[in-house]
Amino acid sequence: MLLRSILARLLTTAVTLFGVAVVVFTLIRVAPGNPIAMMLPPGASEEDIAQLTALYGFDKSLPHQFVIWLGGVLQGDFGTSITLRQPVDQLVLSRLPATLELSVMALLIALALGGGAAVLGARFRGSPTETGLDLASGAVLSVPDFLWGLLFVLCFGVLWPVLSISGRIDPGLEFDFTTRFYVIEGLMRGRLDVVASTLSHMLMPAMSLALPLAAMVAQLLKQNLKEVLVQDYTTLSRVHGFSETAVILRDALRNAALPTLTLVGVQFTFLIGGTVIVERLFAYEGLGNMAIDAVINRDLPLIQGIVLLFAALFIVINLLVDLSYTLLNPRLRHG
Amino acid sequence: MAETSLPTAPRARVRRLNLRLWLPLSWIGTLVVVALAAPWVAPHDPLAQDLFFERLPPFFLAGTEPGFWLGTDSLGRDVLSRMIHGARIALLVSVSAALITCIFGSALGLLAGYYGGWWDRVISRLVDIWMAFPPVLFAVLLVAVMGTGLTSVIAAIALIDWTRFARVIRAETMVQARMDYVDSARIGGARRLATLVGEILPNVLPSIIALLMLEMGIAVIVEAILSFVNLSISSDDPTWGSMIAEGRNAIHFAWWVLLFPLIALFLTVLSFSQLGEGLKQRFDPVLQ
Amino acid sequence: MTPPSMLDIRNLNVALLNGRPILRDVSLTVAPGEVRALVGESGAGKSMIGKAVLGILPRGLKVTSGEILLEGQPLHDLRPAARRRRVAEVAALIPQDPLTALNPVRRIGAQIVDPLIKIHGWARPAAQARALDLLHRVHIRAPERVMQSYPHELSGGMRQRVLIASAFAASPRLIVADEPTTALDVTVQKQILRLIRELQQETGTAVLFVTHDMGVVAKISQQVSVLFQGKVMEDAPTQAVFDAPDHAYTRALIAATPSYADPERPFSPVPQSLIAEMSAALAMEVRR
Repeated sequence: MLLRSILARLLTTAVTLFGVAVVVFTLIRVAPGNPIAMMLPPGASEEDIAQLTALYGFDKSLPHQFVIWLGGVLQGDFGTSITLRQPVDQLVLSRLPATLELSVMALLIALALGGGAAVLGARFRGSPTETGLDLASGAVLSVPDFLWGLLFVLCFGVLWPVLSISGRIDPGLEFDFTTRFYVIEGLMRGRLDVVASTLSHMLMPAMSLALPLAAMVAQLLKQNLKEVLVQDYTTLSRVHGFSETAVILRDALRNAALPTLTLVGVQFTFLIGGTVIVERLFAYEGLGNMAIDAVINRDLPLIQGIVLLFAALFIVINLLVDLSYTLLNPRLRHG
Repeated sequence: MAETSLPTAPRARVRRLNLRLWLPLSWIGTLVVVALAAPWVAPHDPLAQDLFFERLPPFFLAGTEPGFWLGTDSLGRDVLSRMIHGARIALLVSVSAALITCIFGSALGLLAGYYGGWWDRVISRLVDIWMAFPPVLFAVLLVAVMGTGLTSVIAAIALIDWTRFARVIRAETMVQARMDYVDSARIGGARRLATLVGEILPNVLPSIIALLMLEMGIAVIVEAILSFVNLSISSDDPTWGSMIAEGRNAIHFAWWVLLFPLIALFLTVLSFSQLGEGLKQRFDPVLQ
Repeated sequence: MTPPSMLDIRNLNVALLNGRPILRDVSLTVAPGEVRALVGESGAGKSMIGKAVLGILPRGLKVTSGEILLEGQPLHDLRPAARRRRVAEVAALIPQDPLTALNPVRRIGAQIVDPLIKIHGWARPAAQARALDLLHRVHIRAPERVMQSYPHELSGGMRQRVLIASAFAASPRLIVADEPTTALDVTVQKQILRLIRELQQETGTAVLFVTHDMGVVAKISQQVSVLFQGKVMEDAPTQAVFDAPDHAYTRALIAATPSYADPERPFSPVPQSLIAEMSAALAMEVRR
């Protein structure tokens, strides 16, 4: 039963990915103007254009080009970046860890802040504390990550300069990375200065990404908590002698977290989508920053590769959320 | 056990609801007036460069020059005047992009939610595919493909954000379509399309309006983001986004170039979203 | 001087925040080891007495005056945390609906054992042994397996047995049984009732038994309080109430109860005229 639903999900996933591939592919190629001309610097000779056109297969028909490209992708060949002259998959994978670390950090901050606010609001439900938290989360929610980023740059980068506003790590640090997961590798090799530098560079972009999600978690989780807190089993816990805070943390949180989880999954993909502009804003060397460069430089193979990777990432996250939802809910696990 | 509602609650809500409508309305009203009267209100030409007056600080700091209330940028252009003219573009983009997005997305949502079947399958699949794109990257890509300019920006916003309307309106339409009043209208002889427009649309309208308001705020932001990566209207035009980009570059010399458009963006986005929520509560028959 | 009652409620008044009374001047005592039934129709406020004692009145309900003494100690004087601890030490609750009274995401064993360890300070092995023993005594066949189960894997009757075991686990001296059989099938009702009486007699625990069923009153209690719209109409030994009911309302309640012993005896609902008359009398009293 579970296996069948997973298989069905994988199938729709494949359809979605295929759709994404078709959309990017056509989008770039139906654009007015010769894509090769867009790639080359102005003033390139006819010969250069013809040579490149043949090299990238642009002389063939659109469906034919698509089949060739898709065949390559299925074998793990995403083509070669035009501007950087390296295989797209290598480029993309070298930037992915930075974006992943940033996104996960932002997610953790969002869950901690939002969860804390939700518990606090539920604990003092009906009081001015709850009203205040509601107003605050409503306001925070409606301001997007881009504006938070700018605000942080202004406040903590300039007016009270305590944090660095660009890059991923202090360039003066001497450290030879074997992976691109700076935080994880720094931790594993016991270089706390590396970890601290990376985290301090990550803090502002991560906060910018986290705030809107934190507000959303705060609102939804608090609502769910309040619904659970009138259930009979929480009343029974109070009779058993547990304090209101203990009832919230022991009994209510897990039940309330389940419906919140689905939303967090979807919102996490939005958060990752937000890294594109936030990385740009903080000159953070991740996938999103590379993507914008690729668009500006008309690096078609690289754009395709990055978009496809993002899409795959989103789909995998949604899949994981569904799976963890099943695992956390005993009724579904046995049913 | 149901919690007994406090008898004092409704009164408190009404008072907050009014503030929620009037504060945003007054900010947006100000913007509209300023945008319409921009050439007469702005103290300077927003494009006039004067390197003698570069990076003048705003009025509350030392070293200001009279007449440049909010200071000048690195090219000596008056920040206040640029903001006033920027409001024109911001409002133009936000209203037109949001309206187009709204009509397009809501129509698809209504069709998918009401007719179901193939309509629903195709539209939902499209939504899934669209949601697999990072929206900002998608927008940047679209403008890069279509070329910079006002129409490209508006088209890009509509092409990306229709899914928000389609998703929400589809779900609400499905709920409404199952209600008894729809059946009775059908039994009364109404045609399907007539039922959709005459019976269901009015009931999902509060959500559409709330989303429309939200979208206006989002459109302003998307325009700013596109300006920020230098892909919006044209780098010379005074948009809030291009001011922010310029302010980000000159942040260590003239932070006010970033501050004031940033405040304007904050207020505008907050106003639109609060207005949406307020209007939704005001017009939702169920919530009243 | 008689030893202090297990529970002594004096002139307890509970009201909604808007002032509507829920309990009016309720006074009653429960002696150690005694079962007192609280009987009345729905809305009579009988459950609220137990909830007031345990400190779990729903939001929006407040004790406006009166005293509750638990083993001679006035609960009113205690700070909330101390009151909660004191009540947990002395009293326990068998809830009305076994389907909603167990946490769906936690195992049965943990739900019985946790309060013993975390509140009563038992060692884990002792608590576990106690839980097993009690599950045994409520006639659950495979206690080890049930300890590992989740609530949804058990039937309603089984869950109520679990809840009874949990209520008796910390050896309370007072148990509030809040209509513990109402939500169950008729056949299961009798088993559960017998089980509660059995455990009560073995342990000598005092019980405040809330019910709307005079038949249940007769089977389980020594004392009974008859409630109508939050007011005690009659307070007497159960035997006396059935032999010679003092109040017209009590007579009507008895007449409204079908009898298993004498199925031929006709039964009739409480007459509306009587209810109207009593409501009017109560309203007069409030005005004075």
